[in-house]
Amino acid sequence: MIGSGIAAGVFGSLLGLGGGILIVPLLTLGFGLPLREAVGVSLVSVMMTSSAAAGVYLERHVANLRLGMTLELFTAIGALAGGSVAFLLDERLLSFLFALLLAYVALTMIQARSRETAIGAADTPDVDPSTAAVQPPMPTVLDRLGGEGYRVRNLGRGILGAVGAGVASALLGIGGGIIKVPLMHLAMGVPLRVATATSNLMIGITAAASSVIYLIHGGIDPYVAGPTGIGVFVGATAGSRLGHRVDLRFLRLLFVVVLGYTAFEMLLRAVG
Amino acid sequence: MNRPALASALQAERLIGRVLTGVTYLAVGLLLIGVALLIAAGISPTSGGPVLDLGRVPSDLIALRPAGFLWLGLLAVIAAPILRVSVALVAYARDDDRLMVGVALSILLVIAIAIGSAVVSTV
Repeated sequence: MIGSGIAAGVFGSLLGLGGGILIVPLLTLGFGLPLREAVGVSLVSVMMTSSAAAGVYLERHVANLRLGMTLELFTAIGALAGGSVAFLLDERLLSFLFALLLAYVALTMIQARSRETAIGAADTPDVDPSTAAVQPPMPTVLDRLGGEGYRVRNLGRGILGAVGAGVASALLGIGGGIIKVPLMHLAMGVPLRVATATSNLMIGITAAASSVIYLIHGGIDPYVAGPTGIGVFVGATAGSRLGHRVDLRFLRLLFVVVLGYTAFEMLLRAVG
Repeated sequence: MNRPALASALQAERLIGRVLTGVTYLAVGLLLIGVALLIAAGISPTSGGPVLDLGRVPSDLIALRPAGFLWLGLLAVIAAPILRVSVALVAYARDDDRLMVGVALSILLVIAIAIGSAVVSTV
């Protein structure tokens, strides 16, 4: 179980995903855990790695704390709704939703090259020269949420997306970076590095809102969560140091195959 | 943001970052002890662990039972981001930043509702 956690942590860290996308299928398909229990364990594991990383990002002033806290209010509301509904839904429906998520991530990984190009092009500070020179007398909410060299836009869209990310996180045990990073970067004009760091910061409160529900409902087994969490933490730490030594194209291909196979297995589980 | 306000915000971020990192490493340490005790006792992780009973945690810790360390570690993992928001709330209140005080209070309220609704639904 520790080894599985390490594998999930290394993979997740190398590919810029949380380990959650792998922990849930590993625990359900590999160790026969009920899906809901696997989701609870995954939430705690993802929180461990994200909190450690977010602490460093904050100390180095990479994450945008104001924006992160504003959006995490809405991811937490989504997680509260998702966590409450999770115990009412049929496990087969949850398996089906997870299979869809895996397929979606696999597809986005296949398209990663073209998307990276698009992201690279969009990764410029969002400063409007016409407004940059003139300081408004009273800063608006959007002004106050921005950071050095960029201004936040489309807050309404960001809030809606944040609620969706919170629901997905609570139902499927993922950090939700796959939704939050593109949302902040492409829709809200936040630079990619800041969006990634801020997404990491937000995982903690999002997962805390739903994990307390799983905890109180008996959905977190300490004997499973301890070894898995330690494994993911060690794996993610190692992965962040291995990043530059690994051929990411090969790893991405391997990951797509693993995701595709896992999606198929989860789909089989969904249809009983 | 003027210079003193910016300096205060940066200082607060550094403090919040340290709190988050510190509590997370404390949680990892507790979980490591719990996992070591689990292995030493020859308990299989899939054998089904005990449910959370806050009253039992101190006695489990004293008796060096794995469940005590694992539960305390898991509670610390969940508490870390909540503590981070609480520290931010104090920092923003000190800077008289009403918007962010409101945001921080609302987050803590959502967490409280999550705990309350889960407790009510299990009774």
